[in-house]
Amino acid sequence: MMEKLSAKESTHQKFIEAANRKKILAHKCSKCGHLMLETVLFCEKCSGSKFEHTELEGAGTVVTYTIQAVAPEGFEDAGSYAWVVFKIDNSQLRASGFLPGIKTPADLPIRTRVRVAGFDPKHGLMLQK
Amino acid sequence: MDRISFFQTSPAKYDFAYFTVLHIAHDSSIATVIKLFIMQKAIFYEMTNSKVCVLGAGSTKYGKLNESIIEIALNAAKDAIESAGITPKEIQAGYISNVFGVADKQVHMAPVIMSNLGISHVPGLTIESACGSGSVMFREAYANVAAGFYDCLLALGVEKVTHTGTVHSTTLFSYCSDFFYEGGNGASFPGLFASMARAYMNTHKATEEDLANVAVKNHENGMLNPKAHVHKKITVEDVLKSPVVASPLKLLDCCPFSDGASATILCSEEFAKKSGRPYIEIIGSGRGASPAAVQDREDITTIPSTVAAARQAYRMAGVTPKDINFAEVHDCFTIAEIIDVEDLGFFPKGKAAHAVRDGATRLKGEIPVNPSGGLKSKGHPIGATGVGQVVEVFDQFTGKAGERTVPNAEIALTHNFGATGASAAVHIFRKVDRK
Repeated sequence: MMEKLSAKESTHQKFIEAANRKKILAHKCSKCGHLMLETVLFCEKCSGSKFEHTELEGAGTVVTYTIQAVAPEGFEDAGSYAWVVFKIDNSQLRASGFLPGIKTPADLPIRTRVRVAGFDPKHGLMLQK
Repeated sequence: MDRISFFQTSPAKYDFAYFTVLHIAHDSSIATVIKLFIMQKAIFYEMTNSKVCVLGAGSTKYGKLNESIIEIALNAAKDAIESAGITPKEIQAGYISNVFGVADKQVHMAPVIMSNLGISHVPGLTIESACGSGSVMFREAYANVAAGFYDCLLALGVEKVTHTGTVHSTTLFSYCSDFFYEGGNGASFPGLFASMARAYMNTHKATEEDLANVAVKNHENGMLNPKAHVHKKITVEDVLKSPVVASPLKLLDCCPFSDGASATILCSEEFAKKSGRPYIEIIGSGRGASPAAVQDREDITTIPSTVAAARQAYRMAGVTPKDINFAEVHDCFTIAEIIDVEDLGFFPKGKAAHAVRDGATRLKGEIPVNPSGGLKSKGHPIGATGVGQVVEVFDQFTGKAGERTVPNAEIALTHNFGATGASAAVHIFRKVDRK
């Protein structure tokens, strides 16, 4: 039977703590070795529920992105920013985050290098070029 | 409800099943067991092959509506009931789709709607699946008629959000994303689809003009739909010059926030035939799912839930994409329609932009797409959208679509998804010629 996680042990909280160390926290399935982001509780390949924590370097290349001209509530004061999907180095995993200071597509060609800068309670996973 | 009373209150086919169970209990000879096995296979075949029809359909106008969410729902319900030529007393269940009822201070909507139709004893169910709520609910309603639980039911979708304002509506919609990774990092829904657009444009060398062509075509169709939210003819230049919402998408690449309701009456074929009214038949139904977050999809230029749902629906209907005479697809943003028509098999991957440019999806093209004006022009009251697509097919096949009628159409497809395609449903319909 799976143990309930306390707030301190929550998967989101662990992900955030790793992001603040500029890492991306992943789960490696103990049964089949498949790698997933920390927030997944069962292996999507073999349904295994035992994992090894794996900290990946929070760096990678831009896969796609948008520059949000009309920001949702909570982001109105963020200036011009991009929401970015990036492929994490040395894995097939992707993550997404908030990259401030992007004004035009010329500022962020596809495959630009980005890295994790931390986790902001207001703006989420912070990235920098 | 216990086992006995379940069978006693269900249609005749279940009484027969119950009889077989009792019979097995008293006579277990091999011959009897084989005979009953064959009989039960026959029952299963009948249950899964029961024809389900749409006997009535109605919609409110989509747009900014002043009535309460319940009043909007009831207006559509009344239209559908009158269209079917039935009384509310003939309705055995109510299936309702809605997402943001809480924004108009009403959740647990099904019993409220049933009560206001004067049938408070009729069980209802409210279903949420983001922007795909209508089609997902329709699928559940369909399955319950197909399985023989009900002979006649109301399937209704409703939404009211415009009173919350654009900024708050944008925020509410972002709650339909995988919020920890998407909305929580600053992505709005236009932003998520914009990221898909950029990936598509980068992979398939499509342009912003290609996306704009979808908007121009759907606005042209919407001009012919009196119930459409946006009645405005636009040009490619208008789209390109409209303000950027989330690059590369501009205001005119985006559907509007809409209020509105659409309703259908679903019934068994026997019920439809007895009514003597025009009806259409559901010949295919499919559901699919995708990773909730865009980042987790191997290919951001396709929506796996659409592909899976379409495959199921085509297989069930025994048709191919070439047999579809027109389609109502989920064009919440122009890029969505480009991806949809490829995922539904109308065009090879990467070729839809060219096909749209060449007019293949126009009202008189080889495969008309969104003759109603689609979400882009007809509007997108998210709980109602999937049902509204069925209303369009019903109107097309029963001579109520006026100038936007697709000539000689016999088979049509509806496609609707939730969020960025995390959930999707596809249905295929056949025109029933009543001579």
